[in-house]
Amino acid sequence: MHDVRAPLVARREVARGMWALGFEAEPIAASVRAGQFVNVLVRPGPLLRRPFSVYRADGAVVEIVLRAVGAGTRQLLDLRDGDAVSLLGPLGRGFHLEAAMRRVTLVSGGLGVAPMPLAARDARRLGLDVTWVHGARTQAELCSEADGDHVRWATDDGSLGVRGSALDAVPAHDPGQVLVCGPNRMLAAAAARWPDAQVAIETYMGCGTGVCLGCAVPRASGVYDRACTEGPVYRADSIRWDELPAHLHYEVPA
Amino acid sequence: MTLRVGGVDLKTPVMAASGTFGYGTEVPLCDRAALGGMVSKGIFLRARPGTPPPRIVETPSGMLNAIGLQGPGVDAVVSDYAPLWAAWDFPVLVNVNGETVDEYGELAARLDGVPGVAGLEVNISCPNVREGGMFFGNDPGAAAAVTAAVRARTRLPVWVKLTPAVTDIAEVARACEAAGADALSAVNTFVGMSFDLGSGQPRLSFRTGGLSGPAIRPLAVHLAYRAVRAVSVPVIGIGGIAAAEDAVEFLLAGCRAVQVGTATFVDPNAIGRIVAGLGRYQRLLDTSRPLPPRTAP
Repeated sequence: MHDVRAPLVARREVARGMWALGFEAEPIAASVRAGQFVNVLVRPGPLLRRPFSVYRADGAVVEIVLRAVGAGTRQLLDLRDGDAVSLLGPLGRGFHLEAAMRRVTLVSGGLGVAPMPLAARDARRLGLDVTWVHGARTQAELCSEADGDHVRWATDDGSLGVRGSALDAVPAHDPGQVLVCGPNRMLAAAAARWPDAQVAIETYMGCGTGVCLGCAVPRASGVYDRACTEGPVYRADSIRWDELPAHLHYEVPA
Repeated sequence: MTLRVGGVDLKTPVMAASGTFGYGTEVPLCDRAALGGMVSKGIFLRARPGTPPPRIVETPSGMLNAIGLQGPGVDAVVSDYAPLWAAWDFPVLVNVNGETVDEYGELAARLDGVPGVAGLEVNISCPNVREGGMFFGNDPGAAAAVTAAVRARTRLPVWVKLTPAVTDIAEVARACEAAGADALSAVNTFVGMSFDLGSGQPRLSFRTGGLSGPAIRPLAVHLAYRAVRAVSVPVIGIGGIAAAEDAVEFLLAGCRAVQVGTATFVDPNAIGRIVAGLGRYQRLLDTSRPLPPRTAP
């Protein structure tokens, strides 16, 4: 784990209102694995860090994707080239890819696309065949950067690909290993269909390092554990989905 | 150079506060040479699962938490963590909690003489449990009863962590001192609440939580100052300390040491940074005198 003073070096819009921001943080870029995250601190800014899955890691640059959902994300999107943040990471336990499975299907909804490019990278290194499935409300909100041997789209309004959620666009026959990231209610639906899928969940988070116990995840075994440390990737059927908040509100009330 | 405070030899005047440093094994990237000492996550006799999520809410300059004292219970702490603590070069106090006065006494007895345990911090101020906790801390008689029960069952230094949810903290501070406390930690979190305007429901599953962070600092400085004036045992100041300057405020108020909590969530090396910055204020602290009586307007 590293705490790196990281200047903003790149930004691009990957879907309407969704931005990829690149920060120079070599020690994190060199060691991050798919599904792991960084906890980002902006000063001056809100009290707590903001956790983001690592989207890409190339050379010395770590990328995250975000939309403006609250004060912290708006501030990140207002950064100019060279402005530095503190990046703490890589954090958490990422996806586990099994070479023997031969194929992997990466399923994401909206910002849930965040961990998938790294998952595709790691899957290719293992020689896996990669199916990329991504959904959003409309075509304009789909992340334009797809990375798979096979690519499938889904939109709520049917403007591109399958009408429905990303889950509806997953091949029915032999998806291989299934990795899913998206809103928690989408993950709960995925768990009903693929109990052994790996899901990357979202929770409120305090420290991101395992200390504050704020990111409690209700496990089927009856315990709460920490999304930041034991997670954020879990076997889908190991979560008590009815106890995990289905939707998170981000705004810090003034 | 060590500093003896309430029967405990601190390496520096800056400690890690309970619930923000785990059992001392969890916080990465912290300059442990700067740690004056630490207080463990609050423990009960038995394991507790903690509260359902959401457990934390960010607020302006602060955060509300309702973790519910999740933890493995005293036996696991004694077997899994105390042996590690015994080898460390800074003291570890165990934050003890009970639903009844007897449970506090029993915990004290179980921890007495355990190598690695340098002292007890009696938590009569947790806002996030249904039984015990803050309900002992906001009544001087109950606070004294808990303190006496712990005192009677251990030779370890006994610190008592006070709640801000009182009419007069001086009264509770004096009651704890009279019942045998070696030091007082002031203060725990303030009870707070926040509603989600989408669902119309409280944002925490426990509904209420403890407010910490810079938002509470001036309130905490005042309460620590009131406690300092009320007792002759040392007071350890706690509440929203994020920089050396914040720690200095508590020390100027008469605290002998401070604890850093929420800041560690934001910067794992907050304590290292604070201790490094204290030197600039040594002259000020060396020459400061207790405040004279306040003149009426």
